[in-house]
Amino acid sequence: MGEFLVSLIVALIKIAVVLGVALGLGAYLTWFERKLAGHIQARLGPTVVGPFGLLQPLADGLKLMTKESIVPRGADMPVYYLAIMMAVAPALLLFSVIPFGPEFEIFGYSIKPIVADVNIAILIVFAMGSLAVYGTIFSGWASNSKYAFIGSLRKASVIIAYEVVLGFAVLGVILLAGTMSTVGIVEAQLEKGIWFIFYQPIAFVLYLFCMLAESGRVPFDIQEAEAELVTGYSVEYGGMKFGALPLAEWYLNVVALSAIAVVLFFGGWSGPQILGPFSPYFWFLVKTFGLVFFVIWLHWTLPRFQARDVTEVAWKIMLPLALLNIIATAVAVYITGG
Amino acid sequence: MDWIVFGTLAIWLICSVGGAILVKNPVHSILFFLSSVLATAALFLSLGAELIAGLQIIIYAVAIVVFYVLVITTIPWEKIKKFEGVYFKELSIGFPVVLIVFLLMGYMVVKGEFAQSVGKIEDNVREVGKTLFTSYLFPFEVASVILLVAMIGAILLGRKEE
Repeated sequence: MGEFLVSLIVALIKIAVVLGVALGLGAYLTWFERKLAGHIQARLGPTVVGPFGLLQPLADGLKLMTKESIVPRGADMPVYYLAIMMAVAPALLLFSVIPFGPEFEIFGYSIKPIVADVNIAILIVFAMGSLAVYGTIFSGWASNSKYAFIGSLRKASVIIAYEVVLGFAVLGVILLAGTMSTVGIVEAQLEKGIWFIFYQPIAFVLYLFCMLAESGRVPFDIQEAEAELVTGYSVEYGGMKFGALPLAEWYLNVVALSAIAVVLFFGGWSGPQILGPFSPYFWFLVKTFGLVFFVIWLHWTLPRFQARDVTEVAWKIMLPLALLNIIATAVAVYITGG
Repeated sequence: MDWIVFGTLAIWLICSVGGAILVKNPVHSILFFLSSVLATAALFLSLGAELIAGLQIIIYAVAIVVFYVLVITTIPWEKIKKFEGVYFKELSIGFPVVLIVFLLMGYMVVKGEFAQSVGKIEDNVREVGKTLFTSYLFPFEVASVILLVAMIGAILLGRKEE
């Protein structure tokens, strides 16, 4: 029983840490995004609340929580509230398969800094990425509004198309690593001494596009389309209920998918030992935030695709490219005996 | 410890299946169905069949149910068939069949022998892949050809005439 109790406590601590970090990060990324957007548009961004506007997320949170709760007439109440859970839960579950560093020992127990080290980790990423589609469809449907529903249908078509491309793009990396476990993929890169982005540049570009599309970022943000659909499926949500949907889609999803991109293509926690035992975590976070920065940078720089083009690009260009990439990788792996 | 996990998941599964056939709103019904699919995936996971659990979520919970959801949510409310009371004639025919099947399955569970697991398989993704591409290559290819034909047919049917 002692063994079981210890592993239970360790698992609970891991979950608490990951949840706290993910939600805190999500809140502070709003500040980061607004600051960055401000500087891209030659403004200053938030400056009033606290030094450098650092308390802005707290002020926003208080504002959202104290707002009057308005539910549209004819809304399906249980589904209306359930949709928020269905949007946030998959985004948080994505964090459960991210390995933040190598195994270490504390008080005689060896601990892996990952919540669930399963051998189908990449499948879980696909599964959670596509489960997020229900949050969007049902939030649009339950709010009994045409604009919201158009937004959710657009998002559904985008997620279905890009989830397929994502799966095929990542297969190349799985072939090279020979495993679906995220820890295994990082270890394979450490063993070979090379990041998989050098073997799989096409896969990385496809993955990046899929990541942008799934998290509703420009240039694939047709489901939000502020100018036509006034943020799409979340338009009928108010207060913190509204806050939860972009938190899940724009921030948690982007961070989680960036972290998985780092695992797949940038060698995870690998990097020179400059901070002693903390350097793996340092490198992992630096790489992840580099990608998050890149995504937000794109968001405030590029224009948006048309709704029809987004899915056409996925099915007609990206999917064949991904298939060719897999065939080429499989042949190369077979010849080199990798 | 195992029976607590199994019991919880089984109750979850039975409740959601019951909900799926008892609620009147079609969207609530599909939500219960989705819940039952997720419960099945959790059952697979608790039995150590990780690959099947993952595929259950990706294929059933997402790829298949999402199309039901898309169709059901886009149907206008006026066109939905209203509740007409319990169908007693159909029930009187169907219930004995269900009862007999249940008794047969119950007999099998109580008296029969199940396939025994042959030791722990470490990497079931690799094992399933190997089996599919060696012992079961022919059925696998036949299935893939059928799916390809179905896909081409669906695209042809779904195209607009130009």
